[in-house]
Amino acid sequence: MPRFGGFLGAALLLALVTLAADRLHELLPENVSILLFLTAVLISAAAFGFWVGIASAVGAIAAFNFLFVEPHFTLHIAQPQDLITLAVFLLAASLTGLLAGRLREQVDAAKGRAAALEVVSRVSGDLAGAASAEDVARIALRHLHELAQGPAVALVPERDGLRLLAALPQGYAPVASDLDAADIAFRRRRAEFAAARGWAGSRLSFYPLHADGGGTVLGHARLDPDRRDREWRETGIEVVLRQSEQALQRLALAEAAEAERRRAVSEETRAALLASLSHDLRTPLATILGAVTTLRELGATLPPAAQADLLAAIEEETGRLARYVEKLLQLTRLQAGIAAQMAWVDAGDAMQAAVARARRSWPKARITAEAGPLPMIRAEAGLLEQAIFNLVENAVKYSQGPIRVTGAVEGQELVLTVLDSGRGLPPAIAEWLASDEAVGAPPGAGLGLPICKGITRALGGRMTAQRGSSGGAALAIRLPIPKPRA
Amino acid sequence: MGDRRLILIVDDEPQIQRFLGHALVAAGYDTCLAGNGAEALAQAAAQEPDLMILDLGLPDMNGKEVIERLRLRSDMPVIVLSAHDQEMEKIMALDLGADDFVAKPFGIGELLARLRASLRPRRAARSEQVRQGGLVIDLAAHQVSRDGEVLRLTPKEFDLLAALVGNAGRVMTHHKLLQLVWGPAHVDDVPYLRVFIGQLRQKLERDPARPELILTEPGVGYRWAATEGGPAEPGKQP
Repeated sequence: MPRFGGFLGAALLLALVTLAADRLHELLPENVSILLFLTAVLISAAAFGFWVGIASAVGAIAAFNFLFVEPHFTLHIAQPQDLITLAVFLLAASLTGLLAGRLREQVDAAKGRAAALEVVSRVSGDLAGAASAEDVARIALRHLHELAQGPAVALVPERDGLRLLAALPQGYAPVASDLDAADIAFRRRRAEFAAARGWAGSRLSFYPLHADGGGTVLGHARLDPDRRDREWRETGIEVVLRQSEQALQRLALAEAAEAERRRAVSEETRAALLASLSHDLRTPLATILGAVTTLRELGATLPPAAQADLLAAIEEETGRLARYVEKLLQLTRLQAGIAAQMAWVDAGDAMQAAVARARRSWPKARITAEAGPLPMIRAEAGLLEQAIFNLVENAVKYSQGPIRVTGAVEGQELVLTVLDSGRGLPPAIAEWLASDEAVGAPPGAGLGLPICKGITRALGGRMTAQRGSSGGAALAIRLPIPKPRA
Repeated sequence: MGDRRLILIVDDEPQIQRFLGHALVAAGYDTCLAGNGAEALAQAAAQEPDLMILDLGLPDMNGKEVIERLRLRSDMPVIVLSAHDQEMEKIMALDLGADDFVAKPFGIGELLARLRASLRPRRAARSEQVRQGGLVIDLAAHQVSRDGEVLRLTPKEFDLLAALVGNAGRVMTHHKLLQLVWGPAHVDDVPYLRVFIGQLRQKLERDPARPELILTEPGVGYRWAATEGGPAEPGKQP
C-alpha cells in the first residue's frame, strides 16, 4: 500500500501545477495547461505508485475543470470531451504507476539480491581465515545475523546439552522454546525450522553442522515472509551453512595433516637416529672386533709397531663407543621427558670439566677455555657439562684449527660459547638450533647438537648459532641467570 | 715379493682401513687404499689389484654403482662389507657381480677365508673331480658317489650341484643359481630353487636337517662349504 507521504507529495505537486496554471492563464492556451497537469500526474504515478497516480489523476481533472472549463470555478462537466480527458488521465496515471511499481519491485529485489550476494561473497573469504571450529561458528553467526536481519545464535554441546557460544546482537538470549528446538536439531542432526508468525514454538531456525564432530548448532531468526528478497536471503543462509561445513571439514583435514606431519617428523628423527646408530655404533664395533681378531689370529706375524697401533685403535674406538652410548642415554632421558635435577651450579666448573674431558678424548685438538668469574646458575651439572662437551665435539669434528670455549654474562643470560675455525654450520641446522622446534633436526645434524639443544631447553635456556669473529661457527648455550633473592 | 697379491681396501672409515691394513699385510697381502667410490675406481684402473674389499656405505656413490662401473672393464673379485640395514644393496651388489660379502662387524678369520675363496680360480667344471667328506663328485662324468656308492641325481640337480661346487666357498645368490641352471626366464622362481636344494641335501648331506655341504645364506642364496687344505681339498686333475 502506498504510504501517506506519497499522497502528500502528489497533492503538493498538484497544488504547485494548479497555481502555476492559474498564474499563467493569460499566457498559456488551455491545451498546454492540461499538459502541465498530465505531467504532474505522470510524475506522481512514477514516484509514488499506482494508487497515488490514480488519486492524482482524479485531482488533476477536478482542478483543471474547476479552473479552466466553462463554467469556471465549478466542477460541472458539460461536454463529453471532458470525460474523455478524464479517461486519458486515468489511463496514463495507472499505466505509469504500474510500470513504475514493477520497476521499483525489481530494484528492491535487486538490492536484496545484491545484499545477499555480498554476504555470500564475503563468507568464504572470512571462513578461509578461521583457525578453529569456534572461529567458524562466530564468523557464520555474523553472516547469519546479517542475512536474517534478526537475531542469530551459535551453540556448542556441553556435557549435558548445548551451551550458548555467542549471539548477535550482543546480549540476545534465546528463550526455552528456542533452546528446545536447538536441542532437537542437535540430537536429530537435521534442521529445525522456526514456528510461523503467531504460532507457539521457536522464534529461530536451527541447523546442526554435520561436518563438525563437536556438533555446533547455528540458529537465526525467521525470515520476514513478505520481503521480496526472502528467497535470496534463504539461499544466502544455505550458502553460509554449507561454507561453514566445508570450513570445518578443511580444519579437520588440516588437523589430520598436521598430526601426520608431526608423525613424519618424529619418524624422520627416528630414522636419522637409526642411521646415526648404524654408523656410529657399527664402525667402532667393527674396528674393535677386527683389531682383536687380527691380534689373536695373526699376532705372531704382526710387527710390534702394528700391534701397538691396533691396540691404540681398540682403545680409541672403545672411547668413541662409550661417548656415543653416553649420548644415547642422555637422548633417551631427554626424550622420556625426565626433568633436570636443578641445583646451584658454577658454570665455569662445568665448562672446565667439559674442556678437560674433550682434551682427553682428542689429545691433538687445540682447545682453550677463557672465562672470568661466572655467576652461579640453576642447572644440572652433568647435563650442562655434556651440552658443552657436545659443542666441543662438534667443533673438533668439523674444524681443524684452534677451538675456544668462552663464558660471559650478557644481560640476564649466561652465555657459554664454543668457537671454531671451520666453515660454519649449514644454515638449515643453525636455524633449527635457534628455533623453538624440539624435534625435527635437519638431516646431517647428527646426535650431538640435538642433544645439546635438548639439554639447554631442559635447563630453561636457548641456543644460538652465529658466525664467529674469526670466521668459524660460534655456537652458544644461553641460560637464564636467576635473580638474587631480596 | 712379486707373488704377493694386491688387495684394494675401499672404506671411508680410517679406523677400518687401519686394522684391515695391518691384518692383510700380516696375512701376506699387499694393500692399497681408497676412501670413496671414485677413488676406488681410479685405484682399480691404475694399480690393477687382485681383489677389492668394498664397503657398501660410501659417501659419494653406492656400492652397486661402483660394481657396475668396475664390471665394465674388469672382472677382479669383489668382496663387499655390508651392515645389516644394507641387505637389499648387498644382494644387488652380489647379483651385479660382487663375489662375496662379509657382514660388519666381522672377525678377521672370516674375511680372510672369503678372500682366499674369492682369489682361488674358479673350477673348470667340465674336467674336475671333487672329493669332500667321503663324497666324490665327478663333474666330467656327471657322477656323484659317497663311500663308493653311486648316488642318483637328476640332470637339473646335477647342474645345480655343479654350479655350487664350481664356486666352492663363495656365496651364490638365488638369482645367479636360477639363471645358471634354469635360465634367465626363471630368475625369480626362488621357491623352485629351494625345492631342488632340499632334494640335493636329502641325497648328499649326512644329516639333511643340519647341512654341512650346502650352506644357506639367509635371504641371499647358498654356499658350497669351503674346504681349505686337508683331504677334502678339491681333487686335482690327474
